[in-house]
Amino acid sequence: MSTPLTARIVEEHANAFRALPLAGAAATRRRTALAALTASGLPTSRDENWKYANLRPLERLRFIPAPAAQPLAATDLPAAIPGFARYVFVDGAFAPALSAALHSTAAAVTPLAAAPDGDRAPAAMPAQTPAPHAPADERFALLNEAFATDGAAIRVAAHHDEPVRLELVFVASADALTGASYPRVELHLDSQAQLLLIERHMSAGAQASFVNSAVTVDLGRGATLHHYRLQELAARATVFDTLIATVARDACYRLYGISIGAQSARSTLAVRLAGERADLTLAVVALGDRQQVQDIFARVEHAAPGARTEQIFRGISAGRARVAFNGKIVVGSEAHGTDSRQSLRGLLAGPEAEIDVRPQLEIYTDEVRCSHGATVGKLDESMLFYLLSRGLEPEVAQRLLKWVFLEDVVAKIGVAELRRQIEERLAQQVPEPAARAEST
Amino acid sequence: MTASPTPLLAINDLHVSVEGKQILNGLTLQVRVGEVHAIMGPNGSGKSTLAHVLAGRPGYEITAGTVSYEGCDLLALAPEERARQGVFLGFQYPVEIPGVNNVYLLKAAVNAVRKQRGLPEVDAFEFLGLVREKMKLMHIEDSFLSRGVNEGFSGGEKKRNEVLQMLVLEPRLAILDETDSGLDIDALKVVAGGVNSLRSPERACVLVTHYQRLLEYVVPDIVHVLVRGRIARRGDRTLALELERRGYDWVTEEAA
Repeated sequence: MSTPLTARIVEEHANAFRALPLAGAAATRRRTALAALTASGLPTSRDENWKYANLRPLERLRFIPAPAAQPLAATDLPAAIPGFARYVFVDGAFAPALSAALHSTAAAVTPLAAAPDGDRAPAAMPAQTPAPHAPADERFALLNEAFATDGAAIRVAAHHDEPVRLELVFVASADALTGASYPRVELHLDSQAQLLLIERHMSAGAQASFVNSAVTVDLGRGATLHHYRLQELAARATVFDTLIATVARDACYRLYGISIGAQSARSTLAVRLAGERADLTLAVVALGDRQQVQDIFARVEHAAPGARTEQIFRGISAGRARVAFNGKIVVGSEAHGTDSRQSLRGLLAGPEAEIDVRPQLEIYTDEVRCSHGATVGKLDESMLFYLLSRGLEPEVAQRLLKWVFLEDVVAKIGVAELRRQIEERLAQQVPEPAARAEST
Repeated sequence: MTASPTPLLAINDLHVSVEGKQILNGLTLQVRVGEVHAIMGPNGSGKSTLAHVLAGRPGYEITAGTVSYEGCDLLALAPEERARQGVFLGFQYPVEIPGVNNVYLLKAAVNAVRKQRGLPEVDAFEFLGLVREKMKLMHIEDSFLSRGVNEGFSGGEKKRNEVLQMLVLEPRLAILDETDSGLDIDALKVVAGGVNSLRSPERACVLVTHYQRLLEYVVPDIVHVLVRGRIARRGDRTLALELERRGYDWVTEEAA
């Protein structure tokens, strides 16, 4: 396929990397990704699973990596999370001055730009890299592979004490007209390894940045990953995000996503439960306001027996926003004993807002337990009346119930300081009634 | 005219329909302070509709009649305004609200009333003391405070929680909609004890109930029998006993 868009991507790629040739495997990977992208093109709104995404910004923005950014101050960043090492990337490039390195014998974080190929985490092995005939859903990861100049390669080994705690902060500062930001994470957990990972995407300033992030996750046998993702880019930003994960036998993956920012955000989450009894929780909150587009596609593949999935979505659409969650669960022919649950709920908070939740189940075996529930609606009227009948102001009661709605996901965030920051951020969009959660 | 003051609640010729179906058909009823009224009646007679209309639940169309409370037009007030003026509805089916804890709701409700009266917010420490005292009366455990409103409560716990809220809010007019249904005898006594503790010359209580069981413990001053949306008969507590003995059919037939 050769469209004006792919032709432009190829041209910008040639211009960008003429001056910066890579040697060895990295160059090969980049060329392969570009070739695959040229062959297949980026998805269009005609592709299955892309009809809610806003792809129009692609016509205007530039694909070359953004030039080196103005240095940021630590005060431009969110408060540190106690106990977590922090690695900051500005417009995709590692910023050591803003980072607080990890001191652990169990884990290594290597900026990809500095990593000799041999040290790169096996997450970047061909099995994890999108194939040349990658499905449409993963083609933005090819774009990242073709253009990314830096990122984090993370490898965690098994150890007996506390889980490793790590925060990645990706800051976008460039305007899309000058170049793109390509956050990249290649994560590998060895057998029995444990990691708490916070991944943030935010802006410095109010630029209309273009961010295209790609994350690969490879969980070894019995490994545990709690992965908190917060997208809070500036109001005019465009972001495409692709996460591809493989979960081995007895491994446990808890993936929490909070998507609040950007003008136009698309997140593609593809998780393969490859080993027996792999255990996945995928919980996402998305808020849309003004004319925002928040589009999330989550595909979970059960490829082995006895694995478990819990998929939760809570979205609120206000203003003229469009919020969509398309949750697909595929149960393969080997995956007997699968237990999957989907609870997808959307809330309309304005007459011009739009929300779409779509559960999809494809089952190719017997003896599975798959349940799903999907609702879109307004606030629960009986709850609302109950609160009003106790004298609460309608506005307070409504806010309270919006919080109750989001709480299904937010309450699961186990890192107290992070939850506090997320609640504070959510409160800017959905004001929180005072002392809602006040304890005794 | 008697010498007694203006009724706290005066319902006059009330007609209410739901989705085009007439439920209340010219109901007239007066409740004075210090009184406990029981409203009994067969299923579908309009008891719960009356309770909901008094609390301001949306979805009911008032086609004729008036309701005045403390001399003002109750029907003109929003549900939250009624609550702040001292009207309390104990729900037949209390709603579960996970994520909002009980103490938050109690405090928000009390402060809404205080604000209405121009009082400052309640002192948090004193408030907890008061709530704990009422909880003891209602046989509710301490852990309840930090739990979500009615979240995972048994039927009996939910009803006891309704009465607890009533005790903390100290309404002038309490309307309890089948608060006795689904309670075992011990829970019924606890609930009755709570209701009795609130009896005073300044307050009134309307008990909506299907059975007279609760009325053995909370003795009403006046018993009304509601049939097809209007009061078909009224009397003292012996009427409740008669209903228990004879059922509702004879009243229904008489009203026909």
